[in-house]
This record gives sequence, structure tokens and C-alpha cells, in this order.
Amino acid sequence: MVNKMRKREARKGLLTSSTYLIYAAIFWGYPFVWLVILAFSRWRYVGTPQFAGFRNFLRIIYDPIFWKSFFNVLNFLMYYIPIVLIFSLLFALALSKLKYGKTFVALSFLVANISSGVAYSIMFSKLFAENGPLNQLTYKLFNTTIPWFTSPQLAMFSISLIVVWKFIGYYGLILYSGLISIPQNIYEAAELDGANKYVKFFKITLPLLNPSIIMVLVFAISLSFGIFTEPYMITGGGPMRSTLMPMMVMYTSAFQKLDPTYSSTMSIFIAFFSFGLIWITRKLFEREVELV
Amino acid sequence: MKKIITFIFLTMFIFSFAKTTLVFWTAPNPNQEAFWKKLVAEYEKQNPNIDIEWTTIPAAGSSEEAILSAIASGRTPDICTNIFSGFAAQLIELDQLVELNKLQGFNELISTRKMNNIIDGWQFMGKTYVLPIYSNPILIWWRKDILNEYGWDTPPRTYSEIYELSKQFVVPKEKYTMRVVAGRNWWDRWFDYITYYYAASEGKPYIDLKKFKAVYNNEAGIEVAKFFETMFKNGWTAVDLGNAPLYNGVILASLKGPWEIPYAENQFPEILKNIEITPPIVPDNYPKDKPIYTFADSKGLVIFKSSKHQKEAWEFVKWVFSNPENDKLWLEMTKMPPARSDLLENELFKEFFDKNPLAAEYAKYVGYAIPPALITKTVDVQDEMTFSLIEPIMYGKKDAETAVKDSIKKINRIIW
Repeated sequence: MVNKMRKREARKGLLTSSTYLIYAAIFWGYPFVWLVILAFSRWRYVGTPQFAGFRNFLRIIYDPIFWKSFFNVLNFLMYYIPIVLIFSLLFALALSKLKYGKTFVALSFLVANISSGVAYSIMFSKLFAENGPLNQLTYKLFNTTIPWFTSPQLAMFSISLIVVWKFIGYYGLILYSGLISIPQNIYEAAELDGANKYVKFFKITLPLLNPSIIMVLVFAISLSFGIFTEPYMITGGGPMRSTLMPMMVMYTSAFQKLDPTYSSTMSIFIAFFSFGLIWITRKLFEREVELV
Repeated sequence: MKKIITFIFLTMFIFSFAKTTLVFWTAPNPNQEAFWKKLVAEYEKQNPNIDIEWTTIPAAGSSEEAILSAIASGRTPDICTNIFSGFAAQLIELDQLVELNKLQGFNELISTRKMNNIIDGWQFMGKTYVLPIYSNPILIWWRKDILNEYGWDTPPRTYSEIYELSKQFVVPKEKYTMRVVAGRNWWDRWFDYITYYYAASEGKPYIDLKKFKAVYNNEAGIEVAKFFETMFKNGWTAVDLGNAPLYNGVILASLKGPWEIPYAENQFPEILKNIEITPPIVPDNYPKDKPIYTFADSKGLVIFKSSKHQKEAWEFVKWVFSNPENDKLWLEMTKMPPARSDLLENELFKEFFDKNPLAAEYAKYVGYAIPPALITKTVDVQDEMTFSLIEPIMYGKKDAETAVKDSIKKINRIIW
């Protein structure tokens, strides 16, 4: 009797999850298998892929453009992570102090996150242009202009500022939810012990926010390896390939150089590096947090 | 009764299959769309057994990308326009295109449309796979009104004259002489270095297609690079010139194709009256009596091998291009010169050119406009040109001669 019930339950479970399993098989499993096949093949959109062993993997090792794009991601992360973390945290703190209009403020910041990448890229490229409004202002005030997108040193910083603008609201809300889940009595106990607001922030808020911060870090790292629209639309990967990102190299290789198998191999490398970096980040910074 | 109904249904069924459907893709450009819409309707009217499923090339990053996706997914059209020579070379390598010169009536069509000279530039290993539709010479647009203010009755012709004008006109961070570099996309090299190189070298190739070597490390190639270097070093041009700089008076000159004419007619009709068009500027020692060559932004039409109706597709192509009236219509609608060598002699086009003097300037240079090198690695080559030649000069990282030599080395590694 119990066995029969168990079987019936198992069937129900399978039936319920089957939709997802079929969905995953079609939209995740099939492309994944195809990706692996392509990575070990030579194929140019026509005919059957020919087995090529590790040829594509070896090509990557000696491809300076791929490695340039890889190091550009690290460069982007150096700007992006600290700036986005600080500003998202400030946004979350400000939001937690707000008495009225929290939803409105949160939604206003989230608008950036849901805006079309192409649209705001065009907007920022005009805003930061050599003779755009920002530079006109700096020229009038200080008799100088800033080569936001035309200097190889500054271009990546400018791109990272735009991506920061897009994600402050999103990451800020993650940090905000972490902030409001910290029990108030911990702060009250600390106050009784004479802790000032800096001690409370560095000894209570930041450590207890660790899970939210790690989550933001994980999101930020995976985003950095997949960034495409902003550099593609604004700088086209330049100047001097300083904003060329792996996704752009893959895109060009697949659709302009007719080499989708090489792109597939690059995507495997990039996935490997991004998972690796996330793993290292979690190992280094993740802490067990218990909110009683 | 039953038999009659069955007969009617059967007849309808058979007739519905008797109609041949041709899938035809054209460039996503409003003026070209208007042209093809009219012609497709006319052809269908004259040929009731042909149904042309005409659409613009599906929205994607580029035409090439859309066509590749179509090939990969088995949705290739029968006929497609907007094919540039480098992409055609890639498609030929993939064995996707019908060899047009083998089709019946090819030679007649070429001579009817006066394409005998033009078709040579489109041959790949002695075979023709692309039928050139238009050939857009790239020429310089000048702000005649501002030039006059500075005492220039005719636009500068040589590099030295440009330098002289720059000293008069340029105000740092505000006004520059001309746009020298078109952008950092790979195709932008067609509209800057390659155009100036063709002009300086009397139309010599930048890639030797027999030896598969880049060959612009000659006097002309270095002169052009030095011109770029001088313009950037002195601040007479800039990387980013803002929106519509020619129309806003920020610059005095810019290289443009004839597609700019309808755009300017709509957006800046008053300024268009003050535009003068000349061939690209040349080095100081360029002989005055010699014609100046330029780059041809040319696009053609192909028939895909996967087409089940190659014969019908070719019949349609022949119908379109064997009638000069259609070329006249094309000219009127797009202002782009059809790829035929009799544009200025043929009476049929005279009225149009009389009414459109700017378009007539472009027609004059069709015979001196040279298409890009027919290589399969256009993207890699021109991307490397951007990185190793143009950008180091723009940012003052290398002198012109070194940049030319370094880029040649890297490009040869790609194509050899």
C-alpha cells in the first residue's frame, strides 16, 4: 500500500517537473551539447561539422586578440566592482533610511536596469562625446575636455560608469533586502555597549551583509564576462582594442569571420574563467552568517 | 455533384502548386525598398505564374549576419541583394552561390547593361558570381559657403592645400578642417585609408591577389599615412566630431557616398545648396592632368545554389537589369549610380543628371571607382588595419611609416 502511494507520488512529481525538464532539455541541454560538438569541430555554417580535436583550443592559446579581451574584462572588473559596490550600498542605506516613497525611489533606480542597452548606449555616447554637453561644460568651466571614449586609458572606465548606472538599482535592492533582514536588537545591544555608528557599520552591518555582498559580487563577475552592448555600441571595442570584450570577439568570429566553432571554444574558455573567478571570490570572501 | 467538387478542389490544388515562389531579399533602405516594391509588383503582373516573396534582409547586426543565419538554418532566399565583394568571396568559398556566367543570356545582359569593364572587378578566379547593382564612388563633400568666407573659390586638391586651409580655419576643440578617419568599425577603412590610398596611387590595389600580400607600403600608402598623422598631430581633425559635423559647420569637408544626397535633401536642404563635390584629395606631387581614382562602395546581387528555382530567379534578374528604364528609376529613387559605364553618355539618364548635379558628380567617377580587394578575410584585414595602422597614428603611438610597416607585417600573417 505504502509502495503504491510512493509510486503514485513519484509519478505526480515527475509529471509536474516534466515541463521544466523538457524545457531545459530543449533550451539548455541541446544548445549545450551542440556547443561542445562545435568546440571540437570545424564547421562554417554549411554541411556537417568535421572533427578537429583540440585545434580550436590550441588556437585560443596563441590568439592575442582573445587574451586582450580577457584582460580587458579584468580591467573592467577593477573599475566596476568597487564603484558599483560602494554606490549600491549607499543606495541601499539611503533607501533603508527613507520614511516615505521607498517604492517610488526603488523603481526609479530600477528603470535604468530595464532600459534598452542600445538606447542608453546611444544616449551616453552623445552625452560623453568629445563636444557633447558634458565636455562643453568642462571646457567652459576648466578650459579642458575629457576624452571619455577616445582615450585608451579612460574608455574602459567610462564604460564601467555606464554599467554602474544600470546596475545600482538592481544590486542596491539586493543589499537593501540584506540590510532589513539584520535584526534591530543587535544594533540596540551594540549601542548599550557604547558602539558608535562607524563601529556598528563595520562590525555589524558589513559582516552581516556578507551573503548579499557575495551575491552582488557573483552577479557582477558573471556580467563582466558577458558584457557586449555598451562597448559594441559606444566604442566598437576601441580605442586600441582597450574595450574589446570576449563577447565581441566571439560575435565577430562567428558572424563576420564565419568561424562559429572557434567562437564556441572561446565561450567555453570564458565560462570556465568566469566560474573560476566566482569560485575564488566565494572561497576568499564568503562567510557563514547566522541571523538570529 | 461529388465528382464536380472533387474536380474543382483538385484543380485548385494543382494550380496552387503551379505558381513558382521566389524568395527575394533586398537591402533595408527606404529608397531601395520603394524601388524593389514597384518592380516586384510589375514583374508579378507580367508573370502571373511567379510569386515573389519580397522582403528586406531580416533585422540583424548586419546583412551578412542575417544571411549566414539563413544559410545555417536552411532558410536561404533564392535571390539576395546588398552583397559586397568580400562577403561574396566568403560565400563562394562555402560553395553557396550560383555561377552566373554559366547561365543563359549572361553575356548579353552584361553588354546590354554596359557592364563589360565593371564586371572584371567582380570576378573571382575568372568566374562571376555577383551581378553588380550599383557602384558608389566615395567623394569629398565641401562646405562651399564657408570655404568662400575664407577666400577659397575652389576646394583644396592636395594635402598641402588642406594644411594651409587648416591653419586658417581650425579653432581647437571647436572647428576642424575635415573628417579624416571614418570610425573604428572594420568597414570604415573603406571610407578613409583605402579611399585615399586609391586616390594617391592612381587606383593601385592595396592587396596583391596573386601573391596574397598587402602592398600599400609604397610611396602612396606612406604619403596617406603621413597626411593622417599631420592632421591628428596638429589637431586639424579629431577622433570624435559630434553629430552631423559637416552640416553644423564644425568641419569643412568629409568623404561621403551618394546615399548622402537623399538624406541631406530631407534633413539639411538649405545646406545642401552649398555643397560642392570633388574627388579625394591627393599628395602634392600628384599630376594635375591625371584622373583621380577612388573607392567604390559597390553592392551586387546573387542567386543561391540552394534555390530550387534558379532558372526563374535568373529570368527575373535579367528582366530587371536588361531594361535601362529600371536603372533610370533606380537612379531617381536612390540617387546611387547603377553599375553601368554609359551613365553620362546615355540620353536616358541625361535629364536626371541635369536636374541632379550632385548625383552627376558621382556618375563621373563610376569609371574611376575601384571595389575592395576580393579576399575572404576582409574583416580580419581591415580590423588589423584599424588596430595597427589607423589607431596608432590617431593616438600618436607610432609615426606614419612605422605604422604602415607594422600593419603590413600583421596583415600578411593573416592573408598569406
